[in-house]
Amino acid sequence: MTAVFALTERQIRASFRNFDIVFAVLVPILTFVGFTIGLRNVIDTGGVGYSQYVLPAVVVQAMLFGALNTTDLAAAEKSSAFGVRLRTLPISVRAPMIARMLYCLIRGALALAAAFAVAYPFGFRMDGGLLLGATFVLLSLALTLALSFGAEATGTRAKRSDTSSQLLLIPQLLLVLLSTGMAPVDSFPRLVQPFVEYQPISQITETLRGFASGEVVASNLTMTLAWCIALLVGFGYLALRGQAGRR
Amino acid sequence: MTAVKTPSRALAIESAIFAGRLTTRWRRNPLVPLQSLLFPAILLIIYYLLVSKSMTRLTGGDSLDTVVSMCALAGGMAGSLAAALAIPEERDSGLLSRFWMMPVHRASALTGTLLAEATRTVVATAVIVGVGMMLGLRFHGGVAAAALFVLIPVLWVSVYATAVIVVALRFRSRAVLTWFSTLSLGAVFGSSGVAPIDLVPRWIRPVVQFQPMSSTIQSMKALARDGFAVQPLLWMFAWIFGIGLVAGTLAVRSYRAAAQSGA
Repeated sequence: MTAVFALTERQIRASFRNFDIVFAVLVPILTFVGFTIGLRNVIDTGGVGYSQYVLPAVVVQAMLFGALNTTDLAAAEKSSAFGVRLRTLPISVRAPMIARMLYCLIRGALALAAAFAVAYPFGFRMDGGLLLGATFVLLSLALTLALSFGAEATGTRAKRSDTSSQLLLIPQLLLVLLSTGMAPVDSFPRLVQPFVEYQPISQITETLRGFASGEVVASNLTMTLAWCIALLVGFGYLALRGQAGRR
Repeated sequence: MTAVKTPSRALAIESAIFAGRLTTRWRRNPLVPLQSLLFPAILLIIYYLLVSKSMTRLTGGDSLDTVVSMCALAGGMAGSLAAALAIPEERDSGLLSRFWMMPVHRASALTGTLLAEATRTVVATAVIVGVGMMLGLRFHGGVAAAALFVLIPVLWVSVYATAVIVVALRFRSRAVLTWFSTLSLGAVFGSSGVAPIDLVPRWIRPVVQFQPMSSTIQSMKALARDGFAVQPLLWMFAWIFGIGLVAGTLAVRSYRAAAQSGA
């Protein structure tokens, strides 16, 4: 385990030098302010303040953005001379990956804290109480881990990491902007409404919003948990497979 | 007897060769076309689906012309940034110094870059306008207005690419370039084109109203709707000219410094 901690510490130190952690904190702040200022009087959320409405989408967007950087990170580490050197050391083959995942969780927690810090003055409140608030945090971090596994799996396989992470930006935008995290399903054209309603980001942001407001819908919670577990297991398996004895 | 070309024609030919070099690079590593073509076209569709109904409820129109303008500008800028990511490396590997030593007009590497950027933006804007027309965009101001509509992103991207070159040469860091892109994309989406100005919080209104992208998007919107809006157009050209003058001077100086640094 000491190897994992040493490598995690190294990731954190490096993240201050390449500004990764700075961006992780700034992205939720900038997207929240941008969305709220730009759209709060445009989109009719039916009584709920837009800052209360959009915060889950900002959190999910921040986690997705972090995962894109993880893709680059994993690809660079895997192909670097340092990565090759690590594989000759008497440590677990998976230690570098576990260290990256721990770092992603720390980064995700910081992003989450930043999102809360900026949303509070705009009127966001955790009305669901302490327990549901803790569940909000837990679900966000579970999602971070699942997405980071996905990023790890992509990064270790990609040939051109800069292009692949930019390519992944497109589905990311598609999922976040065309979700009920941005606007209620009625404000989308009828043609895309089925997609908007049932895609995972919509389900997850709705659950998070439910945790924040204290009204959890059972069917929606089941759907979200199913998505989270499926993503964790699927991406986790692929990420672990990517580590096994390849050069 | 050797044929001596006139300097101005030499500059044009050499610029075209330098531009061709960049186009080849962009074809081999598709990050740049991705950023400048695919990304804004998809953004246009997504953003339109997100706001069209709400905007119709608010203003009576779906503001497709605004969204098309924004995506054309944002795409051009994103493309310039993706292209500029290679510049620090070219400087460090000594390629820029090598160009400086070649028997060509010394401005041609810079003018070639701008030529390539402008060409790319013409194509990208045409694609985005095409996608917009499929979604229902129509030009009611005539052919001249439509031509100017396409020309505006090209002018802006040429100026913007000059500024990006300055940033890339001066700071030599990807992080600063990313910051610069966040700032400029923020300017596009935080302009008075996105939502009616009275819906923006009062304290930030002056910034939103007078930043360069607001007059640009207003001009483009007017061009698509009914023709030439004189005041925003004048503001926009003043911005383009001002930023172009400053960035152009700095770009020539930074380029010379980078090329002569020898490292």
